[in-house]
Amino acid sequence: MTSLNWSLVQTAARLLGREEREAVLGDLAEAREGVRNALLGVMGLVARRQVLLWKDWRPWLAAFGVAFPCSLLLMGASLSVSWSYERLLCPELLKAASLTKGSGLFLLIYQAALLIGWSWTGGFVVGSASRRTLWVSTLLCYAPCLFCLSRYRIDSLPRACLLLFLLPAIWGVRQGLHDPIMKLAPAVLLALSVTLLTIAAWSTGAEHWWSVPKLNWNWALILPAWYLVATAGRPSAIAVRD
Amino acid sequence: MLGEFEYLIITAAAGLGDAAYGAAIREEIAATTGRKCSIGALYTTIDRLEAKGFVKTWMGEATPQRGGRAKRMVHVTPKGVQAAKNFYDAVVGVSRGASWVAGKTENAT
Repeated sequence: MTSLNWSLVQTAARLLGREEREAVLGDLAEAREGVRNALLGVMGLVARRQVLLWKDWRPWLAAFGVAFPCSLLLMGASLSVSWSYERLLCPELLKAASLTKGSGLFLLIYQAALLIGWSWTGGFVVGSASRRTLWVSTLLCYAPCLFCLSRYRIDSLPRACLLLFLLPAIWGVRQGLHDPIMKLAPAVLLALSVTLLTIAAWSTGAEHWWSVPKLNWNWALILPAWYLVATAGRPSAIAVRD
Repeated sequence: MLGEFEYLIITAAAGLGDAAYGAAIREEIAATTGRKCSIGALYTTIDRLEAKGFVKTWMGEATPQRGGRAKRMVHVTPKGVQAAKNFYDAVVGVSRGASWVAGKTENAT
């Protein structure tokens, strides 16, 4: 096996867990398998592993229950934060919204805190429940982003405003991957904070929260936080490690 | 009850004893059955057997022959031995009246 071909097999084997990769590559080297057979063998094992992972409910929850729908809603929330910031910089817009500089700043901080809370908890759930299927959750998060970016038509705000939620979400994913089991007390505190902020956003009818109450789906963004409460301290709630 | 491939792996591993690991088990199965088994089928079945408590695995030593990579060693547990014995007994029992079993002829009824 040439080093180029071997590196191809090694690259494919990176999709396996560390110990399994070690054993499989060693077996292939020992059996002096041809590159085609080695590659087919590794890809076959990777495919079997992925299929087995998807027999569990957690990757489905992370990808289709959190990553995809939350990215759609969080783009709207990101845009709201950007609008509040823009308004704060423009006295005419502030006046048109019947806000003072102080209340405008409060609204911006409030919306940013809510965006961070929603994004971080969603990211944490995706990180802790996906793990080895994280690539699918990532694709399902980015797909709506790319779609919305391609149709973005707001001149006063740059396109990047849609993606403000990604920073706290990625932070949450990293935390979820690194330390997937949250203790009950911080989980409850987090869920209560996010829920109270969300309820306050409805009751004040804060501008640009996709304001028509009947169409406001942002309540769904508190669900990841309550999932963390429901699964706090339970190792069974996290996906299998490498 | 074990599946056929599970039985083959347990039997090959038991026969190899302390030298039972992925590549050796694959070679043993290929040599005795004439069928090549894929590395994917082997390792997912070993995982299943381990989850059922029929085998125990651990990472063994690395050899230069393997490019310095460690082996995944396999040891058949007493529970695995019993499961294999039950499978074997079932196969022998159900085969008793079959025409291809020694002492029988095609016309035997």
